[in-house]
Amino acid sequence: MKLRPTRFIRTSAALAVVWLSITAATAQTTTTKIVTAANTFLSTLDAKQRQTVLFAYDDEKQRTRWSNLPVKMVPRAGLSIQEMNPTQRTAAMALLRSALSARGYEKVQQILDGDEVLKVGDPASGLAPGGGAPPNLMFGKEIFYFSLLGMPSESAPWMLQFGGHHLALNITIAGAQGILTPTLTAAQPALYNLNGKTVRPLGQESDKGLALFNTLDDSQKKQAIIGSRMADLVLGPGQDGKVIQPEGVKATAMTDRQRAMMLDVVSEWADIILESAAATRMAQLKADINETWFAWSGPTDGVAGKNIAAYYRIQGPHVVIEYAPQPLGGDPTLHVHTMYRDPTNDYGRSPVKK
Amino acid sequence: MMRSLIVAATMLLSLVGVASAHRLDEYLQATLITVEKDHVQLSMRLIPGVAVASTIITNIDSNSNGRFSPAEQQAYAERVLRDLSLSVDGHRLIPKLLSVTSPQPSDLRDGLGEIHIEFTAVLPPGSANRRITLENHTQFLRAAYLVNALAPTDPDIRILSQTRNEQQSSYQLDYVQSGIAPPQPSHGWLSAVAAGNLFQLGMHHIAEGTDHLLFLLVLLLPAPLLVYGSRWSGVATMRGSLLRILKIVTAFTIGHSITLALAALGFVHVPSRPIEVLIAVSILVSAIHALRPCFPGKEAWIAAFFGLIHGLAFAATLNQLGLARWDRIAGILSFNLGIETMQLVVVAATMPSLILMSRSRAYPALRVTGALFAGLASIGWITERLFNLHTPVNLVLDTLAHHAVWIAAGLFLISLASWLDVNTQNQAASFPASSTT
Repeated sequence: MKLRPTRFIRTSAALAVVWLSITAATAQTTTTKIVTAANTFLSTLDAKQRQTVLFAYDDEKQRTRWSNLPVKMVPRAGLSIQEMNPTQRTAAMALLRSALSARGYEKVQQILDGDEVLKVGDPASGLAPGGGAPPNLMFGKEIFYFSLLGMPSESAPWMLQFGGHHLALNITIAGAQGILTPTLTAAQPALYNLNGKTVRPLGQESDKGLALFNTLDDSQKKQAIIGSRMADLVLGPGQDGKVIQPEGVKATAMTDRQRAMMLDVVSEWADIILESAAATRMAQLKADINETWFAWSGPTDGVAGKNIAAYYRIQGPHVVIEYAPQPLGGDPTLHVHTMYRDPTNDYGRSPVKK
Repeated sequence: MMRSLIVAATMLLSLVGVASAHRLDEYLQATLITVEKDHVQLSMRLIPGVAVASTIITNIDSNSNGRFSPAEQQAYAERVLRDLSLSVDGHRLIPKLLSVTSPQPSDLRDGLGEIHIEFTAVLPPGSANRRITLENHTQFLRAAYLVNALAPTDPDIRILSQTRNEQQSSYQLDYVQSGIAPPQPSHGWLSAVAAGNLFQLGMHHIAEGTDHLLFLLVLLLPAPLLVYGSRWSGVATMRGSLLRILKIVTAFTIGHSITLALAALGFVHVPSRPIEVLIAVSILVSAIHALRPCFPGKEAWIAAFFGLIHGLAFAATLNQLGLARWDRIAGILSFNLGIETMQLVVVAATMPSLILMSRSRAYPALRVTGALFAGLASIGWITERLFNLHTPVNLVLDTLAHHAVWIAAGLFLISLASWLDVNTQNQAASFPASSTT
């Protein structure tokens, strides 16, 4: 078969057009995609719902309303999933998906599913509905709230919040930047079975933290270990704008491999946000690595694949991460709170100049 | 959107009682500490779990009307502060409440609310290496603590370490503070004295160093008395009493000035722990002497001898200020003058009362009480300093020192009353005699 020149040119041109449009679509900034997804979501809402979901960008009360506690105890504002029709839900989840990485979105889904397990109980394991609390509507994957602070924009800063019991995503979009701090990810049960699969929403955080700890030699461990019980997050909800004194072993006392592992632990939080923003963030944290500290408190005999019962903290000039198992009347490995902050830039208050 | 949820088997061993979406049976007390050059600020969040909230509510709502009034909140905050002991370099600090905010009982009952307490304490000037300790003695069994320092904003303050016990009820913050008592060579040593920084430091040091004052006061307690056999008996003349007081105070001054100068100039170096123990012993010795004369007439020598030891402790305060040589000599002079001034103020405030009262029958009671009190305090200090045990001795003495002016005033009024009482009796006794002549 002989290829005719005209046909070859036409085919090439057609391919070029397809390729160019793909490139153009990719070149469309991620911010544009999020803004488009946000506007699509807003367009599915009626006027009253829109009023419920939208807040002024400078609404400090809404910005800091998040909590680890159930929504029944600390009421959230915004629009919850259960108040949405199927179309609205699809648009809302698409918006969330556009702002998060694939792994980040999966993690959020697993936290929501876990809250559903907490609501309906797990007869096989003896987990009573409501976690043993009086049956109520305190838990469940539908009572998570969306809120927008400021109108979606490609240039002016605005915020997307999504959260409920054990979850608070605070995503600030400022032009090309995406900022995830402060964000709380937590889980109870932190290990459950769903559709025949064992799920640990924060399992990587546990395994990677433990792996890093296990590479420490005796003298590094001595520096890393805080010899006292950490009853809770130090910089949990309501503790914005505070910079605590770093403790533990400093990265300058670590090997290259350990430093790389520590960055990998950090990525479990930093990579929740969409890939481009996560890459910028990881580059910043990598540049800071020598000023970054790792502290550990609690059992040192953890096993990979099971959640640790120990608290750990990673702190650098632009990051504080806390992993805090909660021994509240139960097994601390099944109830975990974690916190991800940037003491210099929570809520994108001081966007980093490019 | 609702996916069917199949919860499968095999995991989660014992989850009975995991109700805990929130704190249950614990009273969380989270404290953040901010260190500045001249003060320390503490911010406490108190979070009672649902199971203990009712106890806390009862504690706060003293009139049981179901509401927390500002006064009740204030009283509760003061109570929380009383359960704390905050000190710097072993000196007890007196915290001052700045604010308290509490949710109302209904919120607290749901295990929700946080009580916020802010307080501050003045940090007296000290050496470059400092240690702040915070101990929580609350009797609440199910308390859980979190204590953390905020990163200092002052570049002159560098935190070295934070040490806590397992429960974090005991916390220790070690830090270095640079830029203390800035050496000012251009000003010369005279202006350094005049600047009065170290003068004030000296005054502070003795005013707050209750152990130094207690030693001196107890030694002066029997000064207006005479010895008869192995007992205190009879009253010396006014002139004799004053002379003896003057001798004791001067001897103490000479003693501590010598060692202060030697140690501060680096000729003598003695670890501070044994010195602190010996100071406590010196109080015990003078307390025993006030009960039963052990070295009558030789008080001045004893004062001079123990003065040597107290001087070493004063020098520890001056150490590490990084003063240059001339500044150092000026500094010692200035610091010592500060100590002497404060010492004279205290002697002037108490001695008239002692002399007046020594003429009354109430004096033996005062002397014995004072001596026993000082003896107990010294035993407390010895225990603390030897075995690192916690005793309430600092708390008691700091509280007393806090009200020193009122105590001195009260003592003076009592002594005046007892002296007048004695005089009227004397006049009444002498009246018939004079009428017969």
